[in-house]
Amino acid sequence: MLKLKIPTPLGHLPLEDAGQPNLSSAPKLMWWLAMQMKRLLTTGTLFGIVGIGSMAAMPGFIGAAVQAVADGDQDRVNFWAVMILLLGAFTAWTTIMRHRRALAMWITCASRLQQLIARQAKTLGADLPRYVSTGEVVSVNSNDVERVARGFDLIPRFVGAVISFIVVAVILVQGAPTLGLLVVVGVPILVVGIGFLIKPLEKRESVQRTKLSRASDLASDTVAGLRVLRGIGGEDVFVNRFKQASQEVRFAAVRTAKMRAILHGLEVLLPGVLLIGVVWGGGLLVASGELQIGALVAFAGYSVWMVLPIQTMVEFAQRWASASVSGKRILKLLSVAPVSQWGSENLTHVESITDTASGLTVTKGELLVVVADQQSNTDLIVDRLGGYQEISSVKINSTDMTRYDRASIRAQIMVQEKEPTILSGTVLTHFDVKHSGRISIQEAITAASADDVLDSLVGEGLSAEIIERGRTLSGGQRQRLALARSLFVDAPVLILDEPTSAVDAHSEARIAARIAQMRTGRTTVIFSSSPLILDTATKVALIVSGKLIAVGSHQELLKSSNDYRNLVVRGE
Amino acid sequence: MKKFDTAKLGIATFDAPPTNTQRVAKDFGLDRAKARLPIATDATVNQELITLFKQHRSEFAWVALLQIFTVIAALVAPRAFGNLLEALRDGEGRAAVVNTVLVITLALTIQTIFAYFTRTKAAILGEFVLSALRERFVQRAVQLPPDAIERAGSGELLNRTTTDINHVTWAVRDALPVITICISEIVIISIGIFVTSPIFLAAALVTLPVVVALTRWYLRRSPQAYRVESSLYSQVNSVLVETAEGGRTIEALQLGEDRLIRTRSAIGRWLQWEQYTMRLRSRWFPAVSFSYIAPLAAVLLIGAGMYQNDQISLAQLTAALLYTQMLADPIEGLLWWIDEFQSGKASLSRLLGIYEVPDREIKPAEPVDDELNGSDVHYAYRTGRDVLKGVNFVIEPGTRLAIVGPSGAGKSTLGRLLAGVQPPTSGTLTVGDAEIGYLPVEQARSHVALVTQEHHVFVGTIRENVSLAFTDKSDEEIWQALTAVNAAAWVSELEKGLDTQVGSGGYRLLPAQAQQIALARLVLANPRTLVLDEATSLLDAKAARSLEGSLNQVLSERTVIAIAHRLQTAHDADLIAVVEDGAITEWGSHDELLNAGGAYAALWRSWRDEH
Repeated sequence: MLKLKIPTPLGHLPLEDAGQPNLSSAPKLMWWLAMQMKRLLTTGTLFGIVGIGSMAAMPGFIGAAVQAVADGDQDRVNFWAVMILLLGAFTAWTTIMRHRRALAMWITCASRLQQLIARQAKTLGADLPRYVSTGEVVSVNSNDVERVARGFDLIPRFVGAVISFIVVAVILVQGAPTLGLLVVVGVPILVVGIGFLIKPLEKRESVQRTKLSRASDLASDTVAGLRVLRGIGGEDVFVNRFKQASQEVRFAAVRTAKMRAILHGLEVLLPGVLLIGVVWGGGLLVASGELQIGALVAFAGYSVWMVLPIQTMVEFAQRWASASVSGKRILKLLSVAPVSQWGSENLTHVESITDTASGLTVTKGELLVVVADQQSNTDLIVDRLGGYQEISSVKINSTDMTRYDRASIRAQIMVQEKEPTILSGTVLTHFDVKHSGRISIQEAITAASADDVLDSLVGEGLSAEIIERGRTLSGGQRQRLALARSLFVDAPVLILDEPTSAVDAHSEARIAARIAQMRTGRTTVIFSSSPLILDTATKVALIVSGKLIAVGSHQELLKSSNDYRNLVVRGE
Repeated sequence: MKKFDTAKLGIATFDAPPTNTQRVAKDFGLDRAKARLPIATDATVNQELITLFKQHRSEFAWVALLQIFTVIAALVAPRAFGNLLEALRDGEGRAAVVNTVLVITLALTIQTIFAYFTRTKAAILGEFVLSALRERFVQRAVQLPPDAIERAGSGELLNRTTTDINHVTWAVRDALPVITICISEIVIISIGIFVTSPIFLAAALVTLPVVVALTRWYLRRSPQAYRVESSLYSQVNSVLVETAEGGRTIEALQLGEDRLIRTRSAIGRWLQWEQYTMRLRSRWFPAVSFSYIAPLAAVLLIGAGMYQNDQISLAQLTAALLYTQMLADPIEGLLWWIDEFQSGKASLSRLLGIYEVPDREIKPAEPVDDELNGSDVHYAYRTGRDVLKGVNFVIEPGTRLAIVGPSGAGKSTLGRLLAGVQPPTSGTLTVGDAEIGYLPVEQARSHVALVTQEHHVFVGTIRENVSLAFTDKSDEEIWQALTAVNAAAWVSELEKGLDTQVGSGGYRLLPAQAQQIALARLVLANPRTLVLDEATSLLDAKAARSLEGSLNQVLSERTVIAIAHRLQTAHDADLIAVVEDGAITEWGSHDELLNAGGAYAALWRSWRDEH
């Protein structure tokens, strides 16, 4: 076997930059995608044309050979036999070259779309769930991207088929005008006729796809909640629910398949009708001596060969039917434009942040701990302070937060939400985030009391793997791992929402002390009602029913406020 | 910035593909030892396919029969055409032409009708098989032993449920019919050639050994490569799912740009394998496709000689040439689609893998009462590293026990053992003298149920989410359960109340609300013993305490074991177990432990601000 490393037309991937797609309509998006791979498209199509053209030439070669046989000319028979072999070799070469480019096109297109979707997800960021469900993103990425890409993959073959079809038609018309005309006029009519069936097929396919996606959602849902189901029961209820959806998929799929079967029947019938016409007309021409036997063989061969371009056209129509449905879904996702309230000023430092809605203010250098009662929506207060929601009611350094650029806000203020996501990877990739450099990974891990989390992972030290977004870890372990990351980032302003809610009291005491030490000189806001954390605060704010009602030290508030005592003192 | 960097992805699950085919060993590909759920062997997959075939033997037979008639009808035209050529050469005129046209028309009509029915029948059969396959998969998935689910993690199962089912669907719906059609065409056309003249079949199949040898070479390398390829392709998706689902965290950490690099890296790694398989095909396809043109020349040369010697007629030669040419399409189709079929088969091996998960070991018993008894309980996730190191306890029915202790001490493990998720590695843990880890899951959970902090909200209404298995419960009972977990207030404020759609795509519950729903399920299920592993951790301290209070009233007769990090939960309990480093170090009531002056007492004082 060859040891040589054959180069592939995939070397240019992955793309450095996925580009700026034209999002004015689905066809324009498709066109843009095509234009981004002009070279592949051109060379691929070129190979498609010569490759399929060489296949189309085969009946002519065979006709000539049969004529040579009928004429009893052995030399000519030998010549045509060699020609057939050469043509076969040429076809084999051009076909693989076309395939390589066709595949490269689908991969280029798929990976470009994936990168675009990733970029869109990045742009939407925290707001993504507000505009589109994450399930939609996942389904577009796993299904629609491939469907659109598969449409491009077929272009070289399609163009080759169309051009070869035209060339053969010309040869036929020149050889025998009436017969040629029959082909030239007949086939397009029949192909257009097929086109009318595409529409209902598309409809059925779309119904089928909706049902399939529902069934697949139900299956995912059941599996995702399997621990609950196994723990309490209800497996049968959920399996039955899935079975019902699955059966609906089945019926929809059969309906689609019946429509496809009709299409397939036509794919058999149409070239057959053509062949009959050729045999009939050509036979009569031979009978009257106007055509040679070999030419009739070639004619018949051509009419049989017409199956290929017709099939390719039908396949093309089918693939583009589903590609256009998917294209619309991709377009919809990519053209979600977040309503930005942000300005363009660069925030370079934070002296103070004030949430005017609650009256809460944090000033530079503080370790502010916020205690809120149950009627307060602390999530919303966290979001406002951090610039995730209702930013128009927030002042930074006494001016409107909306004046600033979003990225500069994020660089200055970091919010650790209640349940931060742990991304899959290793411990090292977990800490692969923008950071001040003041704090080492080990220091951050120790501060968050997370050394035992590392021990529970598979692998050694920093290269240990965090499987499945830390789902195998307990809530407390995840929380401490996320806290370590937030401390490592060392943002000028750090807002922690219940960072130790799932941590045992023992560890919490240690963590509280270390956060206070590590954040000295920086600004920190912690939402918590744990006395262990409150004890380390430089300032404590008490919020009742969403409004700031008292500020002071932990000890002061314990003495002065009944509400406060009720919220933080435990036991009794 | 680097174009891509696979180190960004953390663990390199797969090495880069080898640069030349010599080094491709059989064992590369999906690492069975590393997979978190079994992957079925090729033998199992083949066995399953055979079983499927046997189950639907008559339907398969029908499809095959229809297909055979379709192909036979297709063979009529070339032969009739050959006859016509001969007649024309011999000077017979219009009558022969008209006769031929009639014969071909008849054959074409039959071929078209049969082709339609073949496809329809095949689709009905295929969809039936598919629906059975995916339903059986889900059915099996929900019956997996709980410890297998714990080990596998939901992601692995989820991946198989979505991606692999899709791949198999595609293979069965598209690849399989084409492959069977191609095979039957090859066989029947070969018979057609043989009938025309036996020697032509030899000429037509002259390159078949080459095709077989090349294909074997190819198939030795390609299946594993496709498995890796498809797995890496789905990893591209996983990276994106993370980017979408973790949007908030990613934005907070300013990781947006990094996610794009990770996406590129995942694509880059996938493409290394796409390149590898493309190279495989670049060698195999052209050689094979040339191998079906060569026979045409062979038939021509042999046929011309025989025609000169009057051994065959012009009609036979023409028919043989046309038949030989007709062979090309199905051979080519077969090769392409076998190739495509590989990825479907790889997915099938992952689907069938879950049947190889060992069943829960059952020791039939019937608990006599609700007393929980642990005797020298050991548990190790990895041999030699005991998480529980010989724990002994007796918990009387109706006791409220709180388990406290530092993280990683083995509290959750103890909770899982108490709920019978798995049996201890050594020692015994019984409920009413029956070893709960060896009871059938359904029986075990009717005695002890576990609620963890994981709080999945199912797609469906709140009613469905609370009732789960107990679909016969009245609204009144559901409201009672919701009241017991302090959730009735917010549920009744929802516009549609119990009928509110929640879960993915529906009304978004706060994590604390989801946790209340999880507890309401348990109240409704009403087991004798409840294990609550940080089940109120997402509620704030005050709400948690109030919930626990109201829960205790509803569950006054039940044994409640609460694993808690909040000391007030311990304070409220009848008994407290302090677990440290895999052992119970303190055991007794709150007052007893305070008087004992141990670690618990110290912690309690700092918690209460009693400096």
